[in-house]
Amino acid sequence: MKKSNLAGWKDVFIFTLTQTLKSKAFLVTYAILLVLILISMPLVTILTNRGTEDPNAPSPIEKVYVENKTTLPDMDFSLLTNQEAFQNISFVALEEDYKAVEDRIDSEEQTSVLLTISEEDSAYSLAFVKAGSGPVKDRSLEQLGSATMEQFEAFRIQALGISDEQVTLLQAPVTTAVSLTDTEGNAIEKEDTSISFNEYWLMYGILFVVLMVNTMGSTQIATSIVTEKSTRVVEYLLISVKPLALMVGKILATLIAVLVQMVSMVVMVFISNRISAGLSEGNGTSLLSTYLPKNIFENMNLVNILFCFLLIILGFIFYATLAGLAGATVSKLEELNEGLTLFTFTNIIGAYIAIGALGTLIGSGTNTFVTFTLLFPLSSPFILPGAILIGKATIPIVAAAIVLQIIFILLLFKFVAAIYETLILHTGNTIKLKELMRISKLIQKGGKVNE
Amino acid sequence: MSLSVKNLSKSYGEKLVLDNLSFEISEPGVYALLGTNGAGKTTSLRIILGMLAKNEGDVLWKGRPLDPVRTNVGYLAEERGLYPKYSLLDQLLYFATLRNVPRHAAMDRIKHWSDRLMVDEYIFPPKTKKRAASKANRADQLSKGNQQKVQLMAALISDPELIILDEPLSGLDPVNTDLFKAIIKDEIQKEKYLILSSHQMPTIEEFCSDITILNRGRTVLQGDLNQIKKGYGRVNLFVKSDVDIASYISTFGLPIANKTPSEYHLKVRDEKQAMEFLTKLIGDNIPIIKFELREPSLHEIFIEKVGDNNEEK
Repeated sequence: MKKSNLAGWKDVFIFTLTQTLKSKAFLVTYAILLVLILISMPLVTILTNRGTEDPNAPSPIEKVYVENKTTLPDMDFSLLTNQEAFQNISFVALEEDYKAVEDRIDSEEQTSVLLTISEEDSAYSLAFVKAGSGPVKDRSLEQLGSATMEQFEAFRIQALGISDEQVTLLQAPVTTAVSLTDTEGNAIEKEDTSISFNEYWLMYGILFVVLMVNTMGSTQIATSIVTEKSTRVVEYLLISVKPLALMVGKILATLIAVLVQMVSMVVMVFISNRISAGLSEGNGTSLLSTYLPKNIFENMNLVNILFCFLLIILGFIFYATLAGLAGATVSKLEELNEGLTLFTFTNIIGAYIAIGALGTLIGSGTNTFVTFTLLFPLSSPFILPGAILIGKATIPIVAAAIVLQIIFILLLFKFVAAIYETLILHTGNTIKLKELMRISKLIQKGGKVNE
Repeated sequence: MSLSVKNLSKSYGEKLVLDNLSFEISEPGVYALLGTNGAGKTTSLRIILGMLAKNEGDVLWKGRPLDPVRTNVGYLAEERGLYPKYSLLDQLLYFATLRNVPRHAAMDRIKHWSDRLMVDEYIFPPKTKKRAASKANRADQLSKGNQQKVQLMAALISDPELIILDEPLSGLDPVNTDLFKAIIKDEIQKEKYLILSSHQMPTIEEFCSDITILNRGRTVLQGDLNQIKKGYGRVNLFVKSDVDIASYISTFGLPIANKTPSEYHLKVRDEKQAMEFLTKLIGDNIPIIKFELREPSLHEIFIEKVGDNNEEK
């Protein structure tokens, strides 16, 4: 690849970037995405707040008739009145006819409910009956039900004569551990490298964003190249710049446009989260903190973020170069999908390998396959950024992945530089992979290349 | 000598599309590349401009290999191309930047050429709030002829030393054809080097001193047009008379190349035979309205050369 092959890339870059940023399609899509992101979290907060009542608000239930059909002694649920929500409830043992009370609740005493505790086989059952209509809603009954069940559990254990310590021991999980020992019989500690469910979803989210960015940006580059070919503008451009400079300028311009979109969307996510926190009732908890534990971001520092961006950018350059090559193999826009098959296939393979590694990480932690996926240039742009952010990628792994990615890109550029000049003026049928390899071999042998 | 094309060859697999093309343009002026469709004209121009790899040969500009990036070249491609959705002004400025023309100079030239080619209303559309007006400066809103004018502007925006025009007049109406011709003449006046590829023989005769006729990639005729014509001699006789002269033509055994209701186009062996024919007509008091003896036209030479070669194949 000679330096003169890249002369003029800056002019292509500036023009492509300016036109992309001025494009109505780009601006409208961008604006819609930003607005959607901005309103999404506050909207979710408003919608979820609407159905949530203050947990400490007084319950509309005023009286609970308790019918105990078990062998357990009568239970005093009035302890529940210590809770702010239930302080106005009175618990009375059912002494009248069940049917008469049920009818009365349904017709006159709609703020009362019936609780029947029964024993069936080896299980206890707590059944509530409320009026078909009236102030007592299902949500109020569910709230009372949860509290009643907890209280019942306490009664049950108390009735069996088991102490709190014994309960704790009974409820403690049973774990098994298989240890390796050295020759002297000392156990070799093996670190648990598996990831949590939340970490899995964070990495999956980043993978999905990278896949989306690669697909959208690369398709844009391929479309731009085919447009220049099909409108014959490329003939004019080629007297001023070499084909490789055209492609490099386009790739970098699209990359910048996509990065601007990505960064502003991330900023918008945080703004949206802030607004949702302001809108949430109670303690002002934001939506993100509800789903993502705070410690998940403890590795998010400037260096790691820069590494993430670098990997995403390198991955984008790699896939965009493939897409550029794909664009050059076709002559008409309607043939672009066919031409993009190789690119789409490679992109999806990379993403699927990364998804497989994510499954392995959550199941059994880091192993050879995961390490391979972190390093493999097709999959590393999808999985490594997430792995860095949750602290599952060491500096040597990141450095090695970056070096490998750069080597892969340089090799691809060498291949593309050799055949792109031949492809750019090609008109006619889509050139298949086999034909590309043939052209490349001919050039390497110093043979004469045909269109 | 400024442009020298030496032994250019190009093949696609087994198919030879350009065979050993050589020519030189030593002085400013127009050099013509002629040929039927698929003769190799556009391929030759693309190779000269470095767009296509050549199998053999050299292209030298002022004694050095021609690098279109470093040489001030203007190119009007046969298949016109503009970005359909982008503003024309943006495109022209982009093309100027690629040719290393400073922005202010580019703006001046765009204004000059848009005025000269009468496309300023598309390149600098009047500002209006209407949506339709905002689209007026896009290539997909222009007629084919106007797109061709913008393309010519792009080719001339760097005020190039070497101008390559591939079928510049195809598809133009008579008014715009004259406009383009006037611009070509101006460029010749400015002592520019032009290579012109065209099917329109009268246009070539109007501008070009030197020609190459290609047929299926091979050079079938090359040289100074006047010398070529002289080589053929004055063998075309055009005669117009009020009376029927068919019997005289028959007596002299002159082949009829073409006949219209009032005029014969005859082929003569030489000027002597033409003079004998004229003497006979005058001697018999035949009223003669037109008697013109001239060299073959480029069109006739072209048909003869290309036709012969096609028959050989």
